[in-house]
Amino acid sequence: MQPLLKIDLTTGKTEEYRIPEKWEKDFLGGASLAARILYSSLTRELDPLSPEAPLLFMTGPMTGTSGPTTGRFVVCGKGPATGLWAESNIGGFWGPELRAAGYDGLWITGKAEGPVYLWLNGDRLEVRSAVHLWGKNTYTTQERVKEEIGEKSARVCVIGPAGEKQVLFASIMCDHGRMAGRTGMGAVMGAKNLKAIAVHGTNQIPVFDLAKYAPLRSESNRVLKQDNEAKVLRELGTAGAANYSEYMGAMPVKYYTHGSFENVDNISGAKMTETILTARSACQGCVIACGRVVKLGDKAKRKGPEYETIIGFGPNLLNDNLEAIVDLGELCDRYGMDTISTTNTIGLAFHLFEKGIITKEDTRGIVLNWGDVDTIEQLVNLIGRREGIGDLMAKGSRRFGAHFNAEEEAVQVNGLEVAYHDPRGVSGMALSYATSPRGACHNQSDYFFVDWGHTHEDLGITYFDRHAQAEKAANVARHQDWRTVFNSIVMCIFANTDPALQVKLINAACGLDWTVEDMLNAGERAWNLKRAINNRMGLTRVDDKLPKALLEPFPDGGSAGFMPDLANMLSAYYEARGWDLETGKPSREKLSQLGLEDVAINLWG
Amino acid sequence: MAAIFPSEEWLQGLERKLNSDSRYSEIAKNWEGDLLFLIEPDGNLNERLTFYLDLWHGQCRKVKYKPTPESYPSPAFTLTASYKNIAAILLGKLNPMTAMMTSKLKVKGSMGYMMRNVPTVLDFVRCAQEVTTEIL
Repeated sequence: MQPLLKIDLTTGKTEEYRIPEKWEKDFLGGASLAARILYSSLTRELDPLSPEAPLLFMTGPMTGTSGPTTGRFVVCGKGPATGLWAESNIGGFWGPELRAAGYDGLWITGKAEGPVYLWLNGDRLEVRSAVHLWGKNTYTTQERVKEEIGEKSARVCVIGPAGEKQVLFASIMCDHGRMAGRTGMGAVMGAKNLKAIAVHGTNQIPVFDLAKYAPLRSESNRVLKQDNEAKVLRELGTAGAANYSEYMGAMPVKYYTHGSFENVDNISGAKMTETILTARSACQGCVIACGRVVKLGDKAKRKGPEYETIIGFGPNLLNDNLEAIVDLGELCDRYGMDTISTTNTIGLAFHLFEKGIITKEDTRGIVLNWGDVDTIEQLVNLIGRREGIGDLMAKGSRRFGAHFNAEEEAVQVNGLEVAYHDPRGVSGMALSYATSPRGACHNQSDYFFVDWGHTHEDLGITYFDRHAQAEKAANVARHQDWRTVFNSIVMCIFANTDPALQVKLINAACGLDWTVEDMLNAGERAWNLKRAINNRMGLTRVDDKLPKALLEPFPDGGSAGFMPDLANMLSAYYEARGWDLETGKPSREKLSQLGLEDVAINLWG
Repeated sequence: MAAIFPSEEWLQGLERKLNSDSRYSEIAKNWEGDLLFLIEPDGNLNERLTFYLDLWHGQCRKVKYKPTPESYPSPAFTLTASYKNIAAILLGKLNPMTAMMTSKLKVKGSMGYMMRNVPTVLDFVRCAQEVTTEIL
């Protein structure tokens, strides 16, 4: 592996950090390796917005190699809203550019005296003032930085005003609206007064055995291009699944209180394709191209929204105006805010207003009527600027709800807002949300795909009815391990690759001789390590939970009447995982079996 | 109405089922598109099998057993699967969505239209399963 570059923004000192060889082999890269590197520095006492808090930008061993959807990187640290392990992965072209500059990661600590940006040109690093960029939106910032450094082919990742103001779900953006959206890594960057990081590299991206890797890469991409799911994603974007999700009652409506949305056709990926789509966009080397480019009335080309943004600003708020959703998604992007957390917190505000828990006095006169696009836009602006009620909402739904003594109404797990795949429609998501190391996350295990029917028989991930309960717990655990491999490579979860081919790619890229089972063991190892990090930061079994709304049946739709039996699912899951039933910690035996003896000593003495 | 798959009787049985099943008629009332199935040989099937159905507004307007693919050059959907997988779908052992999502059933045609009409697809499969008594 190439070294990481450690940068202390307080002192301006830099040093190269070489990753221990054993860690490379045990964790591969990406979020898994980041967890190993940050294990000892993520403590319960650490304030995630303090100068001491680390912020680690990590690539994977296949980043930039034009393997199947491998143009990605991940940003890791301690979540400011969750106080837990945080990781957020992102596409675009920045990660490959960093590797071409000679580094596999940037490890940032400290806090600059005033706003700065970093300019890494090969092995030369400059810390430049960003005073004039502070307050600028994410797209403008990228343009200005590129102009200033005079390198058109540089790639820039940035925060917007929301990150500067430490909105707890602020995101990091690069390129054409690619987002590290979840877990508030933009707020951590803002707390360090770090506005942007520009990188440019000209080195060849290292691959252990390119002669072996190249034909495997071609074969993987050829198969991926023909894959049905990839075809749906290319043709319709991620919102191509909206109709099916709604049909099954897996798409939450009106802040998770309904399971049916009559006007789903108005906001679906198919509708976007038929009406406003003008082009598709892709991350580096990706043959899927799920990104959307759309045109509205002003004829300007802009990013089209993906599934989560559409459902968040759409059915979640009873809005079926697709063009308005495009605008609202773009507004979030410009502020640099995660659309899931933003729309979820806005949904909570509407919900509490309807229940009379908050009033016009709290909103300073704003009436929160479901489906009112102008009001939604007003709230996005207030959050992004941290003004009025937006200042409270910027803390995320858990704290917002708690402020009004209604924390239980917030649809979140451990401070991260639930995504728009409802466990009442796809029951495996109950475990995905309750046990994800970063809060209610749909990407640590997108098990909804398995519940829709996307099995991985080669991995032992078989089909259970979408409303099956504890019997699918071991299946969910195995799927989490599989996805943890993706997050270490760092590979997009939309790459429907053959595991046997995938392990060959990893072996060629890293000089390993793994089997599929070895690959899954690496996933399991990292999953347990992240769990241990969270245990050390105070997480216990009682935190593996779902919010009240998800434990009440939908009154309508394709899943009306169903509720996940979380307690029994969790017990079966702990059993499958080899975790202590009482504390929720990975057992000493399990940790030792995974080669994490030092972690076992930390957790168990 | 029920018959052994694959056979011309089976396809005709499916045509009658689609034209008499009120549930299918309701769910598929907006469907407009013909299907060409290409079943690749394996197991008891020694050569490629083709069959064609023209589906329109909840009805089946035409079927053709073993047409040459050239006789229907541009169907709305061409569906390709191995004999083993199509048999598994008809026997209820392979979920049709699993077949599509894992590319055991390859789809050529508008994925947008297909995704928007998943209920129709699933009910078409139900009808096909109900007319299948046995797989050769």
